[in-house]
Amino acid sequence: MFKKLIEESTAKSPWLFHINAGSCNGCDIELVSVLTPRYDAERLGFKLTGTPRHADIVVVTGPVTKQSLPRVLRAISQVPEPRCIVTMGSCPQSGNVFRGSYSVAGPLSKYVPVDVDVAGCAPKPEAVIDGLVLATQILKEKRAKK
Amino acid sequence: MMTIVLTALQYLGYILIFPGFLFCFVIGMLLCGIDRKIVARMQKRVGPPVLQPFYDFFKLCGKETIIPAAASKTTFLAAPLVGLAALVVLQLFIPIHGFSAFSGMADIIVILYLLLIPAMAAMLGGAASGSPYAGIGLSREMVTIIACELPLVMVLLAVGKVVGGDAVTFSFSKIANYQLANGSLITHASLIPAAIAMLLIIPGETGNHPFDTAEAETEICEGLLAEYSGAPLAVYKLTHCVKVLTLTSFFAALFLGGIGTGIVVVDALILVAICIVLTIVSISFVHAITARLKIEQVFKFYWTTVTGLALISLVLAWYGL
Repeated sequence: MFKKLIEESTAKSPWLFHINAGSCNGCDIELVSVLTPRYDAERLGFKLTGTPRHADIVVVTGPVTKQSLPRVLRAISQVPEPRCIVTMGSCPQSGNVFRGSYSVAGPLSKYVPVDVDVAGCAPKPEAVIDGLVLATQILKEKRAKK
Repeated sequence: MMTIVLTALQYLGYILIFPGFLFCFVIGMLLCGIDRKIVARMQKRVGPPVLQPFYDFFKLCGKETIIPAAASKTTFLAAPLVGLAALVVLQLFIPIHGFSAFSGMADIIVILYLLLIPAMAAMLGGAASGSPYAGIGLSREMVTIIACELPLVMVLLAVGKVVGGDAVTFSFSKIANYQLANGSLITHASLIPAAIAMLLIIPGETGNHPFDTAEAETEICEGLLAEYSGAPLAVYKLTHCVKVLTLTSFFAALFLGGIGTGIVVVDALILVAICIVLTIVSISFVHAITARLKIEQVFKFYWTTVTGLALISLVLAWYGL
């Protein structure tokens, strides 16, 4: 019964940690807008945390520049299991307009397993919420497997 | 022999169920959930469900606990438990309309010390984690405690003077009995500034907005809690919730005593209702309408405005007004 309670709670209380991996700031603003009164992701339990140790879901924005890559990997490795990695915007998936640049090390999926991709430049808040809710389901499955 | 066993069982019941751990757990979490809901409603949001703190707690219980390589393991893991235990013990001292699990000659002084232990434990745990962010959080937490402590002591002195008459009393049962006989102390004109000061102390002591400089998530990565994850973090979150209950019921016992029927269950429900109102007034409203203060502003606010209010009460009480 206790196990079931923890599983249910895992899906209902996902805390986000946001990493900017060389983003143009467009996606960062869209992510914050998800928490504003209009979209209010807190009604689903989402909360932005300040440290990776408290996080369940890591949201990565930006094309993952060579400078930011080691920091991104280090921050992700600090997140306790079960964790979920969500890329936001087209940049971490394909490089977007920065593709082929000498300073871009992405896509992120070359280095860590990515659970959810939210495409768009920048994605709509509705799409972001949809992706995050999908991530909570994956979190719950990961917890159940443990 | 039988009576000893029965007494031991009775105290075990006090500590574990009511008004100890289980009561603190459920009602404290409920207060925090209501707080988050009210803040959201004031910001025109739907807000998380009232049970959200429970979900957060159980989720954190199921997460991996990472102990940093630089941390001192025993202190790191023991600190949250010590803080929680101190608060649960504190709750046993607070009278509920005449009923109190523990009582003594100078329990208010015991309460003052017990109130410090969770903050001290959080500081020890933060220091043991070896994180530089926790170091900054530690110094800020210390300043916040010092800022809150002075007006709190003055409020207690004023209350003690009004109740004790010639000799200042530090006995909570005396304060409760005085209020049973003479009505709530908040109706006492000289104690109204002290009550307002106490309302302002509550968010400072619990580390709620706008006095949450020690755990500022956006600037110093949650400060003292920066390295905590999993079950110890869950205990910290629980400690925060219990602290809200403890301080609001402390206020209720100091200023709103004498409201009740004498039946413990009914009185406990009345206390919960009072605590909900106090949480909304002193924590939620303040949270929704203010931005986070800087640490020196917190200190200045407590040592001028709040201490001033408490001082007015103390002087008025001293001259018997």
